[in-house]
Amino acid sequence: MKKILLPLAIAMVAFTGSAVAADKVRIGTEGAYAPWNFMDDKGKLAGYEIDLGMDLCKRAELECEFVVNEWDSIIPNMIAGNYDMIMAGMSVTDERKETIAFSDEYFPADPSRYAAAKGDEFDFDNLKGKNIGVQGGTIQAAYAEETFKENNTIKSYEKPDQSVADLAAGNIDILLADGSFLDPVVEGSGGMIVYVGPNVQIGGGVAIGMRQKDTDLAEKMNAALTEAKADGTVDKLVMEYFKKGPFYTPAEEEKKAAE
Amino acid sequence: MIDTIVNALVGLLGEDWRAGLEYITNGKHMAWYASFKFTLIAAVAGAFFAVIFGLLGAAAKQSKFAPLRWIGSFYVNIVRGVPDVLFFIFFPLAFEQTVEYFFSRARCTAEEIANNAGSWPPCDAAQWYLSGNDYLILACVSLGLVYGAFAANVIHGAMISVPKGQLEAAQAYGFTEKQVFWRFKVRQMWVYALPGLSNVWMLLLKATSLLSLLQIADIVLWADRLGAPNYLARAGLVHPDWRWKYYLALFIFYIIMAMISERVFRALQNRASRGMVTVN
Repeated sequence: MKKILLPLAIAMVAFTGSAVAADKVRIGTEGAYAPWNFMDDKGKLAGYEIDLGMDLCKRAELECEFVVNEWDSIIPNMIAGNYDMIMAGMSVTDERKETIAFSDEYFPADPSRYAAAKGDEFDFDNLKGKNIGVQGGTIQAAYAEETFKENNTIKSYEKPDQSVADLAAGNIDILLADGSFLDPVVEGSGGMIVYVGPNVQIGGGVAIGMRQKDTDLAEKMNAALTEAKADGTVDKLVMEYFKKGPFYTPAEEEKKAAE
Repeated sequence: MIDTIVNALVGLLGEDWRAGLEYITNGKHMAWYASFKFTLIAAVAGAFFAVIFGLLGAAAKQSKFAPLRWIGSFYVNIVRGVPDVLFFIFFPLAFEQTVEYFFSRARCTAEEIANNAGSWPPCDAAQWYLSGNDYLILACVSLGLVYGAFAANVIHGAMISVPKGQLEAAQAYGFTEKQVFWRFKVRQMWVYALPGLSNVWMLLLKATSLLSLLQIADIVLWADRLGAPNYLARAGLVHPDWRWKYYLALFIFYIIMAMISERVFRALQNRASRGMVTVN
C-alpha cells in the first residue's frame, strides 16, 4: 500500500504546488450583485466593477483577473491571500477600515432603500412584528439589527438573490438593501415590488478593499482611479450601468473639495 | 457547433422552441453542464480514496500490532462520528494551514514571525495559494477520509466473514501470512463487502453536492446562479425565482446516477462471486 500512496502524495503536492507562483493581481468579487458584478448569459463575469476594474488595471499596468468569492467570506479570504483586492459593491465603513484598507471611492455613498410587495403599508417610525430581510455582513444588516431588532424579526440572507426571491415569495415583508441594487429589481418586477418608506444613508462611498500592508498597490490603484475619473471613464461606466451621475466631473470634484 | 445543434432541433420541433433552446444552451448553461465534471471527478476520486483508506483502516483494525489496531479503531470510530459536512469543510482548511505552518517554519525569518504575530501566514513566502482545482483534490481526499472510515468498517466485517477454512487451507499450502492476507482474505472478502460498499458509495455520491461549500463552482452553485431571479435585462433573461426548476434537474441527475450505480454494483457482485460458493 505504501508503494501506491507515496507517489500519489508526491503527485498531489506537485500538482497543488504549481499554483503557488501567481503573478496576476487577483480581484475578489461576488458575481451575484447586478449591476455591480454578475454572471452574464455567457457565464462570464460582467458589470460595472468588472469593466472598471479591468480599466484601472490597464492604467496601472497590472495584469488582473477576477475571482468569485461568497460575500460572507470575502474579507477574510482576501486577508488570507486568495486574492489581492475586493471590488464587490463594498461601502467604506469604520468597522471595515479596522481590518482592511480602502482606495478612493468609485461610487458615491448610495442611500439604502426599503422594498416591499405592492400594496403593503408600513409605519417606519413604529415598525412592529415585521420580517425584515437583509444580506448578512452588509451595512444594512448592521443597521437593521440596531434599529429594528427589538420588535421585528431580521432575516439575514447569504446571497442577495435569495433575499429578493424571498421578498417576491412573500416570506419577508420588507427588504433593506442598496438602492443601486434594488433599482433594477423594482423596475424589472413589473410593479410587483415597490419602494416604501424613507431612504436611509448608512455607509460611505464604494471603494476597492485591499490588505493594509499593500500600500504600493493602493497607490497604483488610486492613481489609476484619479486618472479614470478625470477623463470621464468612471462617469461613463456609472451612467451605463446605473443611469446616474455624473459624479466625478471637475466641477463635482471641486464642490466636494470645498465641503 | 451548439448553434448548429440548436438550428437542427428547431428545424425538427418548430420555431416556438427556438428561444427556449437558445436559453438552455447559452454560455451560462454550458458552464453549468461543464460543472458536472467536478461532481463526477469528486465521486470517482473520492471513492478511490475511500477504498484505499478503507483497506488501510480495516487492515490496521485487525493488525496483530496493538498500536496499529488502536489507530485503525480510532479512525473508524471517530471519523464516522463526525458529520460529513463538518469534516468536509474542516479538513481542507486544516490541511492548508498545516502546510502553511511548515512553510512558515522553513521560509520566514524569526523577525517576520515575531512582527506578524497577529496575522496568518507570518510572511508572504509561506502563503499557499489554493485554486479551485486544488480544492477539488482536497475535497476528494476529504470524501475519501470520511467514507473510507465507513468502508473500513464494511471491509473489516467482510474480512471476518471470509471462512476460516479457506485461510487455514492457504496456510497449509505454505503461503506466507502476507500472501494469505492479500490473495485469499482480500480477494474473497469483496463478495461480502460489496453490498455494504454500495451503500457507502451512495452516501458518497450524495455528499458530492457539498462541493460548493469549498467554493468550487459545482452543479449546485450553478443551479443557484441560474435559478436566482433576474430583473436586469443586461444580465440575461428576466425571470422570477426559478431555483426549484434547476434543483429538480439535480434531483433527476442524482436519481439517474443512483440507478446506474445499482447496475454497476450488481455486475461487480456477479464478477466478485465468480467461482465462489456463496449462500446467495
